[in-house]
Amino acid sequence: MKNMKKIAIVGSPNVGKSVLFGNLTGRYVIVSNYPGTTVEVTRGVAKIGGEEFEITDTPGMYSLLPITEEESVARRILIQEKPDIVLHVIDAKNLERMLPLTLQIIEAGMPTMLVLNMLDEAAAAGIEVDSALLGKELGISVIRTVCTDGTGMEELRKRITAYGTASENRV
Amino acid sequence: MEQPLKTEYRGPVEYSVEIALEKIGNLLTQSYGLSKRTIGLLLLQDDREIAELVGKKELDHLAQIEEIIRDAKIHYSYPVEYEIAMERQEEVRRIASRVVRKKRGKEPFAETLSRLTMNPVTGIPILFLVLYVGLYKFVGAFGAGTVVNFLEGTVFEGHINPYVIKIVSLIIPWNAIRELIAGQYGLVTLGVRYAVALILPIVTLFFIVFAVIEDSGYLPRLAMLIDRSFKKIGLSGRAVIPMVLGLGCATMATMVTRTLPTKRERLISTMLLSLAVPCSAQLGVILALLEGRPHAVLLWGGVIGLVFLFIGYLTAKILPGERPSFYMEVPPLRMPQLYNIIVKTYGRVKWYFKEIMPLFLLASVIIWIGQITRTFDLVIALLRAPVSWIGLPDEAAPIFLFGFFRRDYGAAGLFDLNKAGALSGVQLVVASIALTLFLPCIAQFLMNIKERGLKTALGITFFVLFFSFTVAFAVNFVLGNLGVTL
Repeated sequence: MKNMKKIAIVGSPNVGKSVLFGNLTGRYVIVSNYPGTTVEVTRGVAKIGGEEFEITDTPGMYSLLPITEEESVARRILIQEKPDIVLHVIDAKNLERMLPLTLQIIEAGMPTMLVLNMLDEAAAAGIEVDSALLGKELGISVIRTVCTDGTGMEELRKRITAYGTASENRV
Repeated sequence: MEQPLKTEYRGPVEYSVEIALEKIGNLLTQSYGLSKRTIGLLLLQDDREIAELVGKKELDHLAQIEEIIRDAKIHYSYPVEYEIAMERQEEVRRIASRVVRKKRGKEPFAETLSRLTMNPVTGIPILFLVLYVGLYKFVGAFGAGTVVNFLEGTVFEGHINPYVIKIVSLIIPWNAIRELIAGQYGLVTLGVRYAVALILPIVTLFFIVFAVIEDSGYLPRLAMLIDRSFKKIGLSGRAVIPMVLGLGCATMATMVTRTLPTKRERLISTMLLSLAVPCSAQLGVILALLEGRPHAVLLWGGVIGLVFLFIGYLTAKILPGERPSFYMEVPPLRMPQLYNIIVKTYGRVKWYFKEIMPLFLLASVIIWIGQITRTFDLVIALLRAPVSWIGLPDEAAPIFLFGFFRRDYGAAGLFDLNKAGALSGVQLVVASIALTLFLPCIAQFLMNIKERGLKTALGITFFVLFFSFTVAFAVNFVLGNLGVTL
């Protein structure tokens, strides 16, 4: 996996990170303990627009200031592996709880894309999110998805392909 | 595409976070995989890992950076992490209010419930409801009552024990060995019976309750709710997790006190776990013991609660140190998933059993050795005096000795004694209080040594030994003089 571009999937627990990971990767998946910890990290390869990417499903995190071991590991992955794209998956029902981490990842200079997930549940709860305006406010790409039924995956793949090279985006 | 958003942190006018960030940013020369702004923010929030990293990479500027951080903090009346989290949350609220549209004006039920759990007026009754339903009804009445009665009474005493005793007396001619296997404190008749019939169901049910509470997101809300009261006893909301876990297994909880940020908090919570937090096995047996005597349960709970607060307050007063600060992101409330709960409970029960089953068997062997060598008779004779001071019959003395091997061992011994009809209501309450406060089990004692050092562990042990009998004496004295019957 040496010369592949890297994509890290981050977000708080139970927002659909693993489902998204499964949608993108498919068969070649490695689950291993992060060195020196009991925290499991899942990695796999995805073929997007003819190019192969190494995808890492990071442990759940609420903040860049870690309290739990999972959060420490997730942050270490971001710092040490320097992903070319960070996909922040959030629960569209609960923007107020989700966006603090988005702000922190953007602040850290990571090449971030926001995956606005669980839109079906949000719609059922009567919640609508103006994703274009959200993208404008944050200054990053926002993709609308329902990972469990595959909605938005095509769009996500397109945006990943269009995102360009790491060196151009990374601070 | 626009520039990515920059969140501004204002803070106090005379020394804003921005000023500190700029100063720190100018001193950082290396690359970190994180922006200088983020490094600065994390340093201001006392992030240990980042501080170490910067310490290694910026040898020349370290002293200056540390000075900026110290300087900045002087200007804050709240902890910096709180200040930063608040301003960030404000920014998020501004964005969310622009992009989110709610069609129905109604607040979702989970949000309402979440607010109610954190508001003291409604939160405290909810806490009591959770304790009542989860611990008293489910673990206590159902687990320690119904399930234990069935396993203990029907399965063990009705079928297994008589069978084992018969076989052993047929094939083993030596009385001492017979005693070891099937005597009053035998490996099978006591060791296996207590482990399987008493502890297994109680601990399993507790871990189910704990998993439900954990997965629902209630714990961080509870932490927020009692943060203020906990500060009075030198702890912060963060200590809720070891304390609630202590109601399951205090040994495990003592290990978890590692997650507390200051030495002082770790010491106070170790002390409280040793003294005034009963573990689920002990709790189950005590609740079963006091079943049908609601006043006795209230009295016991009240005394233990008072001791918890009083000793916490006192320790906090005596031990020097800063008051802890605490801020926690509160995750959303969720319906716990059955599958998750089963997996978690199974894992914990398995771990717990692997740890305790050998200890139970070992305890049986030690008790057996103690009895045939008559060492125990000596210790029990020594214990008779304090036991009679607190108004209990001589037969209660061994219970305290065995209580040291396993907390619940003692309580379970009390259970047997009560079944024989040897105790009055007052005696039951006094004995339950004394046993709850009494020495932690041997496993917890060893954990105390491991986590806090031999000197501290011994200090805690002697204090607990003395204090438990003093409180029990006082309760017995007061109840006796008031002529209370329970």
